[in-house]
Amino acid sequence: MNRGDPPWVRRTLIGVALAFLGLVLLVPLAAVFGEAFRNGAAAYWRSIADPATLAALRLTLLVAAIAVPLNAVFGLAAAWAVTRFDFRGKNLLVTLIDLPFAVSPVISGLVFVLLLGSHSMIGGWLVAHGVRVIFAVPGIVLATLFVTFPFVARELIPLMQEQGSEDEQAAATLGAGGWQIFRRVTLPRIRWALLYGLVLVNARAIGEFGAVSVVSGHIRGATNTLPLHVEILYNEYNIAGAFAVASLLCLFALATLAAKSVLEWKIRRARAALAAQS
Amino acid sequence: MNIRLEHISKHFGSFTALDDVSLEIREGELVALLGPSGSGKTTLLRIIAGLEAADPLPGAAIYFDGRPLDVRSPAERRVGFVFQHYALFRTMTVFENVAFGLRVRPRRFRPPEAEIRRRVMELLSLIQLESLAHRYPAQLSGGQRQRVALARALAIEPRILLLDEPFGALDAKVRQDLRRWLRNLHEKMPVTSVLVTHDQEEALEVADRIVIMRAGRIEQDGTPEEVFHHPRSAFVMDFLGQVNLFHARLENAHGEAALTRLRARPHELDLSLQAGKGTSLRGRVRRIQTAASLVKIEVLTEQQETVVVEMPHDRFQESGIRLEDTVFVRVKDARVFVEDYSI
Repeated sequence: MNRGDPPWVRRTLIGVALAFLGLVLLVPLAAVFGEAFRNGAAAYWRSIADPATLAALRLTLLVAAIAVPLNAVFGLAAAWAVTRFDFRGKNLLVTLIDLPFAVSPVISGLVFVLLLGSHSMIGGWLVAHGVRVIFAVPGIVLATLFVTFPFVARELIPLMQEQGSEDEQAAATLGAGGWQIFRRVTLPRIRWALLYGLVLVNARAIGEFGAVSVVSGHIRGATNTLPLHVEILYNEYNIAGAFAVASLLCLFALATLAAKSVLEWKIRRARAALAAQS
Repeated sequence: MNIRLEHISKHFGSFTALDDVSLEIREGELVALLGPSGSGKTTLLRIIAGLEAADPLPGAAIYFDGRPLDVRSPAERRVGFVFQHYALFRTMTVFENVAFGLRVRPRRFRPPEAEIRRRVMELLSLIQLESLAHRYPAQLSGGQRQRVALARALAIEPRILLLDEPFGALDAKVRQDLRRWLRNLHEKMPVTSVLVTHDQEEALEVADRIVIMRAGRIEQDGTPEEVFHHPRSAFVMDFLGQVNLFHARLENAHGEAALTRLRARPHELDLSLQAGKGTSLRGRVRRIQTAASLVKIEVLTEQQETVVVEMPHDRFQESGIRLEDTVFVRVKDARVFVEDYSI
């Protein structure tokens, strides 16, 4: 911290930050819960217990349950490849990992529709064989995977670069096989960062709107996720219902934030231990 | 175990790390690979360990006990490897670090838990760290960590122990203690060992044999006495300790002359206040350093070259030499290398 800054500078900066935070975060959050309970607690529960809402909740959790483990595998594989091997096109791979961050989610959804929709070659073949991807659950899972796959790799690559591979080499000379090295040496060192990446994946999978919106087809009770369901309710002028469902998403967000700060603290501690050792 | 390396080369891109190296390491020997950084010594060690593969050239081969070693993983070679920066598993206790090599064995070969405990505690007592078995590596000093790394490598009963600059990250005093400790350990437990170092003092003190490397090749291979007293090249002599360089003209009985360079170690020179038989250079005393086991005297010669002379304290007292005195240098012993001739 710069001790030369006069107190009023510090106070102004902190004040501006807090005011901004309040305006864009706290006020809307309060508004969500306020609107959700506008017609009373009974109406709130009715909106939540609505079969369409429950179906959307189930689908959202299903998509997250598929996206999280798959991202764990993809992220680990990508981070391992980038940090442990030298190969042609490595920089290109690192750039490609970031692609979903750079592309608008709507575009990525659209690409899946063009690629796998019933009018495309692959989609036509799939439909002929009785597999529906677009306007069905597989499409939603694909779109979600696309927008979430950078998170884990992005968390792991810098950490694994910093740690180097000497521990793995030591384990190899001691007779450990590839799987044992991964489970006993690598995984314990990166577990908090991995979990942190997965928390981010989970949050994004639950909240994704754009990409999923394009591929879902908005079939109520079948292909609606929670964010899509909120939009539908809102468009039907069911304001209280929309906000009740939105409040569920807010609760997920708050749980994510709590998990995220615990993990950040754990990672900091692990990093400090690493620094103390070298 | 006996190890034979034949015609080993290794290139990293256009860089030649090893250039046709052949070397034999005999059962129970402690060999030091000594050389400046970039001389290929660590690469050679990593190839023996299987952490790196030699260039697949015809004739290149590694033999363990006379049997050719094909492309095999480090695990199958049963080599103990000690890294410069310890590479201890920070998420495991000292005990679990040492036990690691036993626990990862396939079930058929894995000793029962009680046996693992006994073996680990035996090794911890060997490195005198039994009381710290339940500490984590971050809670140990550098010297303690390196001892744990050594115990961990010994736990798999390696056929050969490879040490990559094991004391490089430690401070001078700890280094000296560990060096002596390693030598004693080797006497107690004569595992064939290869030690990589760039510290000539370490190599001279610890090793049975020293292999001096330069730019991917073996420059000289011999006992510490041989390489120190009979260096085969100017490089070896320069690398093994301080050297005074003199430009000289050699003449034979027929009056033919050749220009050359003469090399002498500081203890191979003597100083006196009077010119006498055999004194050749005159200079002025610029610096006297007495805070060591030998007195070190720096002399600036009339040719404006600095000469360093070392002599025992009693000899220094006798000579009566003081700062800024004019002195005469006598070369008691010196060496000429063929590469330095220009006729």
